[in-house]
Amino acid sequence: MMTPDIQESRVRRILSDLTNVPPTEIKAGDRLREDLGLDSVGSMELLSMLAEEFDIDVEMEEAAAVSDVAGLMALARRHIA
Amino acid sequence: MNSAVIAEFCEGIDRFARKKINARAIDRAHAIPSGVLSGLAELGVFGASIPEEFGGAGLDLADACAVVTTLARHDRSVATTVGLHLGLGRRGLVAYGSAALKERWLPAIAAGECLAAFATTEAGAGSDLAAIRTRGVEVAETAETPALQVDGEKIFVTNGGFAKVYTITASTPGLGGARRGHSLLLLSPNDGGVTVGPEEEKLGLRGSSTTTLHFDGTRVPMDRVIGVAGEGMSQLQHVLAWGRTVMAAGCIGSASAAFAAAKGHVATRVQFGRTLDAFEVVREQVADMAATLYAMEALVGSATSGDRLLAQSIAAKVFCSEANWEIVDTALQLHGGSGYIEETGLALLLRDARVTRIFEGANDVLRVHLGMIEVAPAASRQPLSALGPLGRAADDFAMRVAALRDDLVARHGVRIAREQRLLHRVGQLVVLREATDAVVARAHADGTLAARWLALAKARSLSLLAEPNQSTRVVTGAAPVAHPEGVHA
Repeated sequence: MMTPDIQESRVRRILSDLTNVPPTEIKAGDRLREDLGLDSVGSMELLSMLAEEFDIDVEMEEAAAVSDVAGLMALARRHIA
Repeated sequence: MNSAVIAEFCEGIDRFARKKINARAIDRAHAIPSGVLSGLAELGVFGASIPEEFGGAGLDLADACAVVTTLARHDRSVATTVGLHLGLGRRGLVAYGSAALKERWLPAIAAGECLAAFATTEAGAGSDLAAIRTRGVEVAETAETPALQVDGEKIFVTNGGFAKVYTITASTPGLGGARRGHSLLLLSPNDGGVTVGPEEEKLGLRGSSTTTLHFDGTRVPMDRVIGVAGEGMSQLQHVLAWGRTVMAAGCIGSASAAFAAAKGHVATRVQFGRTLDAFEVVREQVADMAATLYAMEALVGSATSGDRLLAQSIAAKVFCSEANWEIVDTALQLHGGSGYIEETGLALLLRDARVTRIFEGANDVLRVHLGMIEVAPAASRQPLSALGPLGRAADDFAMRVAALRDDLVARHGVRIAREQRLLHRVGQLVVLREATDAVVARAHADGTLAARWLALAKARSLSLLAEPNQSTRVVTGAAPVAHPEGVHA
């Protein structure tokens, strides 16, 4: 069973890999576009990387609704629980 | 503007171009004569898409496209110079600029005294706009007055050598509360620290200006931010959609010129005792050119009149730039050896056409982007079956594309975002579907060209609609690369 801390740490690492923002500087309230510099294609790629990292299936509609780090963490929690 | 007025406006441009624009001379001189630009300014061309309250003609996107198509029939360098000014160069300012910024700049832009340029590409940021390194940061100009300091370099700036106003994209960390936001900024060569680089030596479009722009500690007032600070990437999507559509309209002009030259040549050139147009293989090629040109016009018309400009502008850009190249190449081929000689003008058309598959977004990148738009949840397509047999054929094609898309989404879910080759393939099909839908919607009066286009689209889509392989992603490192045909080391 993955602890919430480990899960969050892996999500931050994925975000960091894609955006080059250090994991420690990524905040829950950060918006994917405005604060982390991800465009729409980058955001979908992020969700794709998340699905691969945790081996989960995410519907396109659910992925498209994610616009910030908090939403991303919530999605990860729903699927990995 | 109503269609009769825009037709008259374009006829005036056409008359001027016949007298004053010499494409080969412009190509040889690597410059457009100042008399051509001042003449176009007198005709009101540079103010065509500026609102009337600022001294322009208030033309919409469709009308601006008609102007650029008209010019491109005569010379692509002139059309590119004007098209950049009417599209990318000032669209951000018109759509998002503050009242003060518009009042300061638009009257001079409309009069042609102040040509516009758009600068976004950088050495490390071509299609990857998120990689932009030019930065605009807030600094204290005085104790009370903040200013924006811009540092960075833009490359491949069309109109860069003579433009008096630039819209640039810059990373503006913190501005508008966006930690890694981008903004559109309005700069001028008169701002301190701006250096214009030398003209690039190019394969084509040699009469147009292409330079670098270097910003070294350039300080401007904060009100030079166009629109909302930090939201430049969202605004950029709209600006780029305009630019792509105007560019596609230029492709129609160039392809029309090549098609007219080919038709004239095959009707008069005699070989084996007959004119070339007596040969079935030649007639077939001419018919394909006509049908493809018809589809180009239909797709640009659809993009400018519908409410899906973002996706349709991408489809129009990809389709028209590829079709432009094909039509010019076919026209050159039908001319035989004379087509290879500069005097016929086809060599110039070919050289000028090449870059359209690259700039305003490289076509392969745009196909992937279009594929991504298609697999994301989106509004459903309007059926066309009410338009008769052609409409039913278009619906059938669209259903097959949708079936492939749905199958891929079911298999890969959100992971399809990293299946680049599959997205590219979907993007290619979307381009064909958009062209087909536009053709059918336009085809009330002329079903022959539309039917010809549908046959072409069907032939081109066959391999794309075949069963896709599960995953085509290249594995990094020493692992083999997966191909549909098998595994190759």
